[in-house]
Amino acid sequence: MRYFVGIDIGSTAIKISVADENKNLVGHKISASGSMFYKYAQEALGELLRELGIEEKEVVYTVATGYGRKLFKEADENVSEITANAIGAQQAAKSYGEIKTIINIGGQDSKAISLDAEGNVVNFAMNDRCAAGTGKFLDVVAMNLEIGVDELSDYHFKSVGTPLSISSTCAVFAESEIIGLLGNNHSVEDIVSGVHYSIAKRIVKLVKRIGVKENVYFDGGPALNDGLVSAIENELGHKIFVPEYPQITTSYGAAVLACDAFMCE
Amino acid sequence: MHTEHTIETPHQRQNRHKAMEAISVINALKEDFKFPIQSMGYFYDLFETVYCRHEPLHEGKVKIGTMCIQIPSEIIYALDGVPIRLCNGFYTDDEIGSDLLPQKSCPLVKATVGWFASDNFSDKPDITFSPTTCDQKTKAGAIIESFGHTVIDVGFPRTKESEESHHYWRESVKSFAVKLSKFQGKKLTRSNLESAIKKIGYAQSLYHKLTEFRKNKAVPILGVDMFLVTNAFFFDKIDEWIGAVEKLVAELEQRASAGVNVAGKASPRIVYTGSPPIFPNYKIPLIIEQSDAVIVADETCSSNRMFNDMVAVDEWNLYDMIDSVSDKYLKACTCPIFTQNDDRIRRIIQLVRSYSGDGVIYQAFAGCQVYEMEQRSVLAAMEREGIPILYIESDYSPSQHGQLTTRVEAFVESLKNRKRMKK
Repeated sequence: MRYFVGIDIGSTAIKISVADENKNLVGHKISASGSMFYKYAQEALGELLRELGIEEKEVVYTVATGYGRKLFKEADENVSEITANAIGAQQAAKSYGEIKTIINIGGQDSKAISLDAEGNVVNFAMNDRCAAGTGKFLDVVAMNLEIGVDELSDYHFKSVGTPLSISSTCAVFAESEIIGLLGNNHSVEDIVSGVHYSIAKRIVKLVKRIGVKENVYFDGGPALNDGLVSAIENELGHKIFVPEYPQITTSYGAAVLACDAFMCE
Repeated sequence: MHTEHTIETPHQRQNRHKAMEAISVINALKEDFKFPIQSMGYFYDLFETVYCRHEPLHEGKVKIGTMCIQIPSEIIYALDGVPIRLCNGFYTDDEIGSDLLPQKSCPLVKATVGWFASDNFSDKPDITFSPTTCDQKTKAGAIIESFGHTVIDVGFPRTKESEESHHYWRESVKSFAVKLSKFQGKKLTRSNLESAIKKIGYAQSLYHKLTEFRKNKAVPILGVDMFLVTNAFFFDKIDEWIGAVEKLVAELEQRASAGVNVAGKASPRIVYTGSPPIFPNYKIPLIIEQSDAVIVADETCSSNRMFNDMVAVDEWNLYDMIDSVSDKYLKACTCPIFTQNDDRIRRIIQLVRSYSGDGVIYQAFAGCQVYEMEQRSVLAAMEREGIPILYIESDYSPSQHGQLTTRVEAFVESLKNRKRMKK
């Protein structure tokens, strides 16, 4: 058998996907980027292949993507995460329908990508400068509230009051705002839903810059947070599609590209 | 796979956005300052009821929308209507209105137009009267009418010195009274107008009592709380408003005799003027009072200008009363739409003197042309009088908070230094 590997080295996590000749996802792995991207990426790939019972020589083409893509020297090719994300989203949503817009919230950035009918990237927008309103921001919020990131969603849906907006989505300034709200005995639930709506408003503004076309696909780690998904749907006024494994869309896209590249050669 | 969620309708989304704007201001008023006033609780609850829970206050009543304060509420109350002032301070509605008006329009007008465009009211006016004050309000009336709402223009003059304009305005008010009387199927009489004038006069006298306390060295109430109280008069049930303000006056009396001071020892005393801060756009007033200054008086149409001058009736005959009501809304008005507006400058100086103001903060909404234009003459006059003044242009967007805070803080610090130097 021949296999294709896509490896997405992000600021927070390394995501690896393996596809077969029919571009089906056969396995994936997520591990923290940590301080040594390259070393951890190699280790994670080795482990994943062992788990799947795939021998190294069966991997015939590897595409790296993400911020750290150039550090992974064994890759046959490098692509930007925007291209890989677009390809991965289309492949992952095949049974759902044609994807025209992608929202991606990563560990330290967020993007909106607009696709044409053929799935080509026609436009995209990214947050500028800082990690405001990204996964890192949610980590900081959860830490301040002394709850787990995976609990944010439950708290969101339990909120009964008016969501308390956080005026700053800057992780540093938001921290003091949240501490202030807690000090005044506001409910954690209302703070959490307020945080989600603040992020949602921000990302929807970004999406509107490139135009909202249905269907909308949402990926990246924060897409695991169903409360945030609901907040974005409300801000957008549309349903959005979240794939089964929202974190690995981009690496899967890279694996699909690896397959295409190999077949062309 | 994530679960299916029900998605908000556009109205629900708009309501949530407004609730989020409202609650953050209400919380700031409640929590950011020392020595909270107990009887302010009524007003915090009122704004939460109306703007967070979107509950109607006037079910079964005929609601008369007014686009500016020049529409005499005395006549509306006399004819059994409830006046709803439509000046709007929500950024949510401003954003909706932005799609319908030129980019450089006034945010207040955009917010009012946006409100009608979305047709999302908890107390929707049955008819709206639009005095032809500034250009943007005047044109907004016609735009709102195009959404299928009944809007009736009430001609308002742009000069107030001439006999012709006094006459013109008196005729306008009469014609307004006739139209409203037809709409309501009720006659305006000597007795219903007299009792309405007296009721509003009483409400005004309560406002005057509140402002008297602000002349004290120890200021017992914040400017932001005062803005909330006067803002509530825009839409509240008048009898309940009167009851709540009576309680507030009583509490302030106690606080005044106990020497409670909501400000700091060195806090400069600010006279606030310019485009009206309408809830929840308390951005600049909040920044001022969070920067260790205290607003002791204001010259704005949402507050002082609405309450300051009383109807002066010579003879309690119907026509004399209508003329007296008209005069109050024209002669005493210090709106910058007038060609000559020395009254406004005199009023500001008088407020600085009688409230021992240390400085003036003049806010103009970006796009509120008349306030922007009058800035020059007011600044020059303050310079002549030796009164420090800060001019700020801002809008409803939450984005410039940091820069505005720095400017206000620097001004407040300079006033503190001046005070120290004097000593």
